Amino acid sequence: MMPRRKTCHFCENKVAIDYKDEHMLDRFTNDRGKILPRRVSGTCARHQRQLSQAVKRGRFLALIPYIPDHQR
Amino acid sequence: MPRPYETVIIFDSTLEDSQVQEKIQRLSSLVAPNGGDSVKVDVWGKRKLAYPIDKKELGIYAILRYETEPSALTEFERVMRLDEQVLRQLTVVDPIVPAPPAVRAPRPAEESES
Repeated sequence: MMPRRKTCHFCENKVAIDYKDEHMLDRFTNDRGKILPRRVSGTCARHQRQLSQAVKRGRFLALIPYIPDHQR
Repeated sequence: MPRPYETVIIFDSTLEDSQVQEKIQRLSSLVAPNGGDSVKVDVWGKRKLAYPIDKKELGIYAILRYETEPSALTEFERVMRLDEQVLRQLTVVDPIVPAPPAVRAPRPAEESES
């Protein structure tokens, strides 16, 4: 069985990465608030760089947590 | 040369709407002429913070979008840092306006405008 080829969410849908979009940021972080690796999310290199920047900005602005509440 | 910027400010949630408006007005005038009427303001209103900042759980989010000289930002950010009712502030070069770098090999048009 061939594993399904993962595609970059941002290239696919041609959406810009916005650090204010908490739902998007949430999708690309795990339940510990860590940024998902490319091998899991399928994000392309360019968008992964932009994404990591966006996640960090989102954290600074308290839109998403650095550490989820249940671990604090 | 002026550049497009976007600033997100988180105000203390105990501020009244009018106080927030007044602060935004004052800050806007620092980055735009004529009291800052060329500044696009989007107030999200009260929101729960993902983690407490200064022991506060709520904040009022406001987004300002404007074009200004980079040199104007020094004073703008200094004023915000001095204001204890500003919990957070982040200024970035507006990410929307500069088009992403052109793709090297243009892909076959997926949605042709017919």
